[in-house]
Amino acid sequence: MDIKELLREVLLKDKTFIHLPFGDGKYDIYESVVVMWIIMAIILVVLLILTRDFKVHNISKRQAAIESFVVWIRKIIGGSLGEKGERYTDYIVSVLLFLGAANMIGLLGFIPPTMDINVTAALALMSITLVEVAAIREKGPVGWLKGFAKPMAIVLPMNIMELAIRPLSLCMRLFGNIIGATVIMELIKMVLPVVLPVPFCLYFDIFDGLIQAYVFVFLTSLYINEAVE
Amino acid sequence: MLEFSLVNIICVIVNLLILYLIFKKFLFERVDKVLMQRKEEVDEATRAADIATQKALDTKKEYEEKIALADEEKEQILADIKKQGYDEYERIVNDAKKKGEQIITEAKHNAEVENERAKEIYAAQLTDMVIDAASKIAATKHSTQDDRELYDKFINEA
Amino acid sequence: MDLTALGAAIAVFTGIGAGIGIGVATAKATDAVARQPEANGKIMTLLITGCALAEATAIYGFIVAIMILFT
Repeated sequence: MDIKELLREVLLKDKTFIHLPFGDGKYDIYESVVVMWIIMAIILVVLLILTRDFKVHNISKRQAAIESFVVWIRKIIGGSLGEKGERYTDYIVSVLLFLGAANMIGLLGFIPPTMDINVTAALALMSITLVEVAAIREKGPVGWLKGFAKPMAIVLPMNIMELAIRPLSLCMRLFGNIIGATVIMELIKMVLPVVLPVPFCLYFDIFDGLIQAYVFVFLTSLYINEAVE
Repeated sequence: MLEFSLVNIICVIVNLLILYLIFKKFLFERVDKVLMQRKEEVDEATRAADIATQKALDTKKEYEEKIALADEEKEQILADIKKQGYDEYERIVNDAKKKGEQIITEAKHNAEVENERAKEIYAAQLTDMVIDAASKIAATKHSTQDDRELYDKFINEA
Repeated sequence: MDLTALGAAIAVFTGIGAGIGIGVATAKATDAVARQPEANGKIMTLLITGCALAEATAIYGFIVAIMILFT
């Protein structure tokens, strides 16, 4: 098979999953959203199983593991959020866990939702909204507007541009990493589809996916920390 | 592949919010509840321990006070006893002294009485002797010389 | 001659920047570990984060190349 054909197939695939009869394809639901529903369902079931019958005393190993995991991950995220931004820890942790699951869902044969730019755009949009909301809540609307002209008035255009650059950078970083990984995986599979993809799959699907998820939430929490300072 | 679709973005945002609620409700709240309960229990235990410690300290203080009081009492009693002992000693010594003096006076008195009696006896003897002598003299009408001799003899005898 | 492939190739040159950046970051991290071996874990985390950030430029170039080729 030709490389160009393969890339064309991977990159220009029709993403539509549910075709709605009205709007001329404008309101189609993409496959990424459906996969996200599946991920949500999996997460819900796993959580229901894992957090079943929590007790205060005589805890099971499962409960101890979950408790220490929650405390640990909250410590990490809360540390990069800073003291004032600590109340957003839960959302950031949720996004981190979702991204981790989404980047690794390729192992189950699904197409990762983060390979769709709409998902990463939505995530980045949420992140930048959260950052600005945090800034407004911390400083008030006037203080927030004044914050654009800090530390000097000359950086005003830069700060306003950052409002668009930050989410774009977040969105494109995540999207590009995942799609790059997928393209490379497809190329490797084209060369030798049997043994060779295993280590690369381990790297791209697990390691890189988790790192990109962490980088995404790390940058988000960094922005929030900066906004509420 | 780079076209944005508003519907899908909104869908994803809604999904994210639902996911956040799922995580909050089924993970964080449950874990928080357990952790909070545990913390409360620990707090309660700590408080109870604090109260117990305070109580123990109070009791200790009380006992120390009591012991201090007992020490004082002991000293008081000791002092009392000593004083009593001194008093007794004094009294005994005084008694002894008094008794001794009495004994001495009695002894003196006795001696005097004895002396008196001896004197009386002696006087009686003397009287007897004088009577005897007188009767002797009266019985034997002798010469002056004899009388003189007799007187000398009597005086010598006395 | 189709010049889009050339444009994509030029876009992929952003990888040079990412390569240099990751190289510098790794060199400094090695220095830091040599100086303070007990801070190994912290340095490793920072290095991975920094590498992921530096990689972003290469990713941007890659996306631009894809855009040139397929849109």
